[in-house]
Amino acid sequence: MTERGGRQDGNRQKQHEKREQEHRLDDSRERDTEGLGARLDKLSSALDSQRETGNSPDAAERRQDGVSPGSIGNAMTLAVRVLSEFVAAVIVGGGIGWGIDRAAGTTPVFLIVFVLMGAAAGFWNVYRIAMKPPDLEG
Amino acid sequence: MAEENPMDPIHQFVIKPIVGLHPFGIDASFTNASLFMMIVALSAAALMLLGTQPRALIPNRLQSLAEMAYQFVASTVHMAGGHDGMRFFPFVFTLFLFVLFCNLIGLVPYTFSVTSQITVTAALALLVIGIVVVYGLLHNGTRFLKLFVPSGVPIALMPLLVPIEIISFLSRPVSLSVRLFANMLAGHITLKVMGGFVVSLLGAGAFSVLAPLPFAMTIVLTAFELLVAVLQAYVFAILTCVYLNDAVHPGH
Repeated sequence: MTERGGRQDGNRQKQHEKREQEHRLDDSRERDTEGLGARLDKLSSALDSQRETGNSPDAAERRQDGVSPGSIGNAMTLAVRVLSEFVAAVIVGGGIGWGIDRAAGTTPVFLIVFVLMGAAAGFWNVYRIAMKPPDLEG
Repeated sequence: MAEENPMDPIHQFVIKPIVGLHPFGIDASFTNASLFMMIVALSAAALMLLGTQPRALIPNRLQSLAEMAYQFVASTVHMAGGHDGMRFFPFVFTLFLFVLFCNLIGLVPYTFSVTSQITVTAALALLVIGIVVVYGLLHNGTRFLKLFVPSGVPIALMPLLVPIEIISFLSRPVSLSVRLFANMLAGHITLKVMGGFVVSLLGAGAFSVLAPLPFAMTIVLTAFELLVAVLQAYVFAILTCVYLNDAVHPGH
């Protein structure tokens, strides 16, 4: 019920914004950029107030997510994210080391050092995902 | 070889030129990938243009779809980037719709999924990171470099930690592009292989009684791929927000 109400409020707000947009249509381009900024500001504060009342449709959906079938999707996404962040860091580290070695002719030295640093960066990436507030995890 | 075997699971990713264009010796042909990118861009634009046309108080399906996408991305951007992050809302919204439509249209049989090409996803990821670097340097100047210097760490550890932070930053476009590309590629190959099993089993005499099994699997996988398509578009958008947030507020 609250979800429905929140959505309709949002729609009304948006319509209001759209009407404003129409009024601005024949203004110059500079004014249009200002208008965009103002609209984004308004949208932002509208979202702020919506979040405070906890009435936003997304908040409702997110609360359900803990038990709904969406949770398997979230878990899978998180797993893929952790894996790809880790692997990407090792690959980038290895690539940098390989490049330095190729340029300086010191073949395995920098490759080894930078693969290890890449692994460290990968762990650091994973740690950062784990430490992020639960709101933001994908 | 590849063109002769209809069951080759990689065959669907072959890029075929439709109109050959070779200006200055550069291969800039209009390919099937270009065609589907245009279809994606046009259908995303059509959703928003037609969806916002009626402006009814009680929205019809198209309008509520457009409004839900708008509100969803707006609240995501606002949650990740705060008030200052909202200036990137048009960019993130465009990116989200493009990736979402690429993924969804790619699921329709006989279409081409643009996001299964690493060149496309890498270009999108480099665009995001390019904006982070350029905007971060323009907006924050040298304070942007604080991104690479973790706070509250003894100076003696800096020579070790700064390269690690730099590698971690450079790995972002790699993981951003590879994740989307790998998910789409793997999903489409799995679907094709399962579909291939159905055909092979049907042609294998008595074993054809087993054909419904991979067929049921294909149906399940299609639903699963639908989930992956939406989730990956969402992840791409939310990580874009997180990275852009670093450009707006460096130093963590």
